[in-house]
Amino acid sequence: MTPIIETKSLTKTFGGNGVAVRALRGIDLTVERGEFLALIGPSGSGKSTLMAILGCLDSPTTGTYAFDGERVDGLSGADLARIRNQKIGFVFQLYNLLPKASVLRNVELPMLYAGVPHKERRRRATELLERVGIPEKAKQLPSALSGGQRQRVAIARALANQPVMLLADEPTGALDSKTGHEVLEVFSELHRQGNTILIVTHDLDIASLASRQVEIHDGRIAGSTEKVA
Amino acid sequence: MFSGAFRERLRNSWVEMRENPARSVLQALGVILGVASVLGGFSISDSQRRRADQLYVRLGGLDKLNVQPNPVVNDGRPTALQTANLGLRNQDANDGTGLDVKQVAGASVVKFARARVRSPWGDQERQVWGIGGEYLATEGYEIAQGRGFSSQDVASEAPVAILGTEAASVFFPFGDALGQTMRVGDVPVKVVGVLEERVFKFRKSGRNIFRWRNRIVAVPSTLVTRRFEGDAYQRLDRVTFKMHDVDAISAFSKSLSNLLKANHRQQEDFRLDDVASRVRKRQKENDAYDIIFWLSGILSILGGGIVNVNIQMASLKERVREVGVKMAIGAPGKEIFKEFLTEALLVSGMGSAVGMLAGIAFSKIITSAIGIPLWMDPKSFLFAFLLATAFGFLFALYPAFKASRLSPMEALRYE
Repeated sequence: MTPIIETKSLTKTFGGNGVAVRALRGIDLTVERGEFLALIGPSGSGKSTLMAILGCLDSPTTGTYAFDGERVDGLSGADLARIRNQKIGFVFQLYNLLPKASVLRNVELPMLYAGVPHKERRRRATELLERVGIPEKAKQLPSALSGGQRQRVAIARALANQPVMLLADEPTGALDSKTGHEVLEVFSELHRQGNTILIVTHDLDIASLASRQVEIHDGRIAGSTEKVA
Repeated sequence: MFSGAFRERLRNSWVEMRENPARSVLQALGVILGVASVLGGFSISDSQRRRADQLYVRLGGLDKLNVQPNPVVNDGRPTALQTANLGLRNQDANDGTGLDVKQVAGASVVKFARARVRSPWGDQERQVWGIGGEYLATEGYEIAQGRGFSSQDVASEAPVAILGTEAASVFFPFGDALGQTMRVGDVPVKVVGVLEERVFKFRKSGRNIFRWRNRIVAVPSTLVTRRFEGDAYQRLDRVTFKMHDVDAISAFSKSLSNLLKANHRQQEDFRLDDVASRVRKRQKENDAYDIIFWLSGILSILGGGIVNVNIQMASLKERVREVGVKMAIGAPGKEIFKEFLTEALLVSGMGSAVGMLAGIAFSKIITSAIGIPLWMDPKSFLFAFLLATAFGFLFALYPAFKASRLSPMEALRYE
């Protein structure tokens, strides 16, 4: 079975004219299906850049990247958008929900861009909200929800198109430790159900939940720790 | 055009519009004002023009063609033909009517005379109207009491008279003019009819500019030509044709001119009041007004459009994050572009609907303030709507393009 993620000597350089910043200096990373991987590292280490490339939000400067068996380095913006839409579910630190749209519509949005019919969207979004435990909030605006609830909405949205991988960027960064743990519990549960999950964090406690930790330092992989089950 | 994807986008835009009422209203404002001013301008000018047309017609202008005698001026002595000329006669009126029975609503003849008019209550030197044909109807008079002249009256030079309200009150101040006898010159005539008062004012409190028409003392035209100012040919002072359709006048006046020339032994001893050319000139003026309003309409919508672009660019800054989120969850740039355009189309479509209501209200207020009835051309609605929608679409292109070119990563990080 092909791995979900396979990168070879991935580099990313920002700027260019003399003041180039080399954010990534050759990343070789393979993530298998069903893995729960934590990317850790201090700020400025390049882990956010790596996450952006792995999430197909950005393209690498050099190197190759195969996602779900498909070469994605050098793909056009529209093709990357299609992959993001259908294969990757994003969960961000600050939720990134549309503030004026209802919870239900936020969850429906990825399906809108995937061309799912209106009724089907509604049905699946309602189902997803039940799955993350907040079906009663469907009609409300995100601003009426607590941080933990908002992150659940974000998770429901990430799951909308049944992606092959969930990508979470500091998903508990804005939450207190109790709700943070509840949200992490959702991720663990999703992992147990067989989802591939990639979490970016600087919190070692959170990272310890993952089945593997990869540490980034100065744009390189500094170490990889497998959790002994 | 109304594919499933477009319908979906339209529905989505509608939802987003309702989610962001303030932004949408601002965006629509330019279109609303533009459409309102275009429609208002058009309607007010249309109303005024229509009113002016009605005034012309009621004042006795546009729908009439007057024929008057025109002395053939020559040095020296008149030629034999000129001497033998028959002049403007009843026959001309009859033949003219026969030219185009469909278009001619009526023909009237008039021969004026000055005479001493006497009754037990009044004794004045007055102008006397010798009328024939359908004079009362074509000049807009109505009978209040009694009757008009029958063709028998005219044919037999009957000594009968019809009085306007002013004349009636001067010569019979007790309101019992009907049936009484008065003297016109040396002829005793019997009053057989009294006319309705003619009133016409530009403004409610204004002067009655039809006052002189109430001074009429009318007798059969044949009576005047025989007993007062006549000659053997029974020449007339004026023949008037009233037309059903103002636009038919110019064609009719040409054929009438030929006919009259033939009747008058090839002498141009008559003058057609050149209403046709007056109409043409007026239509040209109207065209100029139209161009001015087109221009001002386009300019005002252009102004609205520029406001629109400004607001969209400003709101784009607020929307960068939203666009980033949408792109992150899988909206390609093309989709963002279409989303923006659909929203602009919807906003300008609805804005122009609101603008039309505002335009109607606007024109209603203005026209009632200057006291003319409101008349709106359906074409100006269509024009305003199309213009606004087209401009709304055009001016959304740039912001939509900008939004579609955002990079998802930068847009997500945007604060």
